[in-house]
Amino acid sequence: MLTLQRLIAELSAYWEEQGCLIEQPYDQPMGAGTMHPATFLRVLGPEAWRCAYVQPSRRPADGRYGENPFRLAKHLQLQVVLKPSPEDVQELYLRSLERLGIDRTEHDIRFEEDNWESPTLGAWGVGWQVVMDGMEITQFTYFQQAGGIDLAPITAEITYGLERIAMFLSKSNSIFDIRWNEGLSYGDVRRAEEYEMSKYYFEAADTERTALLLDSYEQEAKSCLAAGLVLPAYEATLQCSHLFNVLDARGAISATDRVGAIRRVRELACACARAYLDRRTAAAGASGSSATPAAPVASVTT
Amino acid sequence: MNRHDFLLEVRTEEIPAPVVVTARRDLARLVGEGLAGEGLAAASVESYGTPRRLIVILRGLPEKQEDRYSEVLGPPASTAYDAEGHPTKAARGFARAQEVQVSELVVVDSTRGPTVAVRRTISGKQTADVLAAVVPRAISAMTFPKTMRWGDGSRTYVRPVRSVVAVFGGHVVAMEILGVAAGSRTVGHPALSELPIRVSGPDDYLQKLRTACVEPDGEARRIRILEGARELAAAVGGSIESDLDLATTLADLVEWPGVVRGSFAPEFLELPEEVTTTAMRTHQKYLPVRGPAGLLPHFIAVMDNTEDRRGLIAKGNEWVLNARLADARFFYEEDRRQTLESRLPELSRLSFQDRLGDYRQKTERVERLAEAIAPLVGRPDLVDSVKTAARLSKVDLTTRMVREFTDLQGIVGGIYARLQGHPESVWRSIYDHYRPAGGTGEPPREAPGAILALADRFDTLAGLFRLGLVPTGSRDPYGLRRAAFGIVGIAIGRTWRVDWKPIARQALSQYPEDLTGLAVEEALGELEKFFAERLRALLERRGHSYDEISAVMGAGLWDFADVADRASALSEARRKMDFRSLVLAAKRIRNILGDEEAVSPENALYREEAERQLASDFLQAQQLVGELASARRYRAAMETLASIAPSLDRFFVEVLVNCPEPDLRRNRLALLGAIQKELSKLADFSEIVVEK
Repeated sequence: MLTLQRLIAELSAYWEEQGCLIEQPYDQPMGAGTMHPATFLRVLGPEAWRCAYVQPSRRPADGRYGENPFRLAKHLQLQVVLKPSPEDVQELYLRSLERLGIDRTEHDIRFEEDNWESPTLGAWGVGWQVVMDGMEITQFTYFQQAGGIDLAPITAEITYGLERIAMFLSKSNSIFDIRWNEGLSYGDVRRAEEYEMSKYYFEAADTERTALLLDSYEQEAKSCLAAGLVLPAYEATLQCSHLFNVLDARGAISATDRVGAIRRVRELACACARAYLDRRTAAAGASGSSATPAAPVASVTT
Repeated sequence: MNRHDFLLEVRTEEIPAPVVVTARRDLARLVGEGLAGEGLAAASVESYGTPRRLIVILRGLPEKQEDRYSEVLGPPASTAYDAEGHPTKAARGFARAQEVQVSELVVVDSTRGPTVAVRRTISGKQTADVLAAVVPRAISAMTFPKTMRWGDGSRTYVRPVRSVVAVFGGHVVAMEILGVAAGSRTVGHPALSELPIRVSGPDDYLQKLRTACVEPDGEARRIRILEGARELAAAVGGSIESDLDLATTLADLVEWPGVVRGSFAPEFLELPEEVTTTAMRTHQKYLPVRGPAGLLPHFIAVMDNTEDRRGLIAKGNEWVLNARLADARFFYEEDRRQTLESRLPELSRLSFQDRLGDYRQKTERVERLAEAIAPLVGRPDLVDSVKTAARLSKVDLTTRMVREFTDLQGIVGGIYARLQGHPESVWRSIYDHYRPAGGTGEPPREAPGAILALADRFDTLAGLFRLGLVPTGSRDPYGLRRAAFGIVGIAIGRTWRVDWKPIARQALSQYPEDLTGLAVEEALGELEKFFAERLRALLERRGHSYDEISAVMGAGLWDFADVADRASALSEARRKMDFRSLVLAAKRIRNILGDEEAVSPENALYREEAERQLASDFLQAQQLVGELASARRYRAAMETLASIAPSLDRFFVEVLVNCPEPDLRRNRLALLGAIQKELSKLADFSEIVVEK
């Protein structure tokens, strides 16, 4: 029986063997693993990069008070980024499924066109959803642009929807029935949280205060950018994006405001991306090397 | 000359299903054109495609180009050779410049007399060398709806290329495609075949591919899917609907199609069938199974696999579908806790378009338009029904079902209205009002639905035209072309003879005056041009020629059904002999009339027998034409008009229109003017092209 934590452990071990640095979840709310700086910022620039991590991903509008068997306000993504995208990237991915005990000769595994776009990140990519026996289990994307910047080299991004995979492998009828470990179910661990957070997102969040927070974080991001502090600026941008999602779930954003708010966040994200690249160019000029000083050395095999 | 076969396989990561067929055809065409440009042609061209490979096979391609001969003229023979016939400095210089020995020079007769020349045989290039240049060019000339980069980011294609096979006459053609060197090796199905395949030519390749679980022919895959599905459906006493689009998509999602039957919980059959089949067909790409008494709790899924050895595939798909249907049932139950009417306020929160307000406002406008349209189409009795339907038409956008099953907008509203006990004239209108889907599908089934569909589309077109958002080029984000096609199609299909211009004007005027964009009359002008284009396209599709369409639209555009009738009448009438004379006369009249002020002709001013004859024939015809036209017997009306052609011909032969006497001239022009006026009620006949 593959528990959720075994699933995470197996995938992490597999990708570690493929030369990935195992990052940790980012300690801020965000809508998707893509927003983690280990993806959003690392896809920029020429350095090779292989990394994997789990990222809890918040979608306030998907909250269902822990009552709907298929929906969560917070789910887990296991994110893998490979830059430059290796030639055998699909095969690498298929072998990760074998690691989970999935024999490809006994299943129907298809790569169906599904292109990804994030207007708030100024990012888009081309790729597929991987469908196994009728179930979408992974989003597979070749990143083309991030923060409004055309990318080269290109990063392959593999995003496993962990709950979906766990649910599907165990044929559970509810997310909350997934075994987290041998003793506890997903519901045991998360259901109360789902209820409370849904209550907050849909009923309790003070829209005025949230809107104010959004404005404040926007200012914070701008002043950080002015001070040349890329990561703090990006963290404030992530806050903006999340607060926007809270307001949206609360029904406090009209269609017209939505376009404007998305644009505000995008402008910040694009500014962060440009600042990140400027900083790495400046650092390369100063040290005479092409590595950015902030880059931890990953074990990279290409 | 020896001929050989050429095999090209470009193996990629999964190409989007909708692109596979066009991509393989484009590749074959571009390679063929490239070779033709080099004077090479194959005896036959085949192309195949799967999601993972594009294949072009050229059979019977010459092994090299034909040799060509060239002749370069030099100095005259008289200066090239001296009296003794020895080459002079001129001859030696020419030979040197041409890089040949003096002894290789020949003397030919040219226009300048005997001239020294160099003749060369240029041997044709090896076809393999030509292919090495042509194929990479063809690859880079291909276009796709969306392309991507990968790896170092330096190359662009629909998906990354992973291997290339290029074999001509059993030998690899050395070339590089998007960074991949061509060879003679490929691989089969990624899950079902392990060893690489080495191929020597097309037949060997096709056979080995099939052994390695790849069916290269999309049509063969589609047939296999449909036959397999029929068999599995029959085993549970059902059948599948022939759904060519879905079968084609499925065929291009797999390389080795197998079919598997699954079941879902029978309790889900209580859901509206539209929901269940949308979950199957649209969301999951399954073929629903139907029995004699309706939907059966089974489905056929296509897999990229030979067999479902341990039943895992069927089980997985069953689980997914059951989960989706459980979700749908949850929406269905939740949604029905509220009536459609009680959801109306929620429409105010739903934006129709940034600057055009919300859906509440839209439905109010649509309601007023529907109210105006019903009497115009001769159905004042439907006013109440269409008003109710219009008011509720967009409410389903606030339901969970439509948010999840967006394809079912309208349909879900219709179903909920039915369950709430609204009469058929109301619920069916809501259900049908997005028809015809794509502008050309099935129209709404009944009159009220058609009225609602028209009102909704007029409102959408009007709003966006008022904003000046007239579609240009291929961009049409609001689907306005589809909307206009829908209107024209419905009006013609139901033969609703209505002058739609006032409705269009009302639709435009219902928006606030201060919208930035186009004023009402300005927008109406744009809308008229827009409808003219759609109407023209629709009539062309019905087989009418360009000039016929111009002619009938020249006599009025806004009654679309009437235009269509006149076009049919015209294409029949033009086959008559007299008709040609009528058209020629119409052209003469147009040229002669210019901008004369219209006056009525007077009998007293006729001088010539020919003009009296014409006037009396015309008078007779005019009355009959008037009666026929109001009975919309356009063909008879046109033929009646054509019957005055002989007297028109005689008139132009015998009568001098621009005579010196001003009153006679004016009267003759007036007669012609009256005739033109009558003609122009039916069509602008001067637009018709006739052979001289």
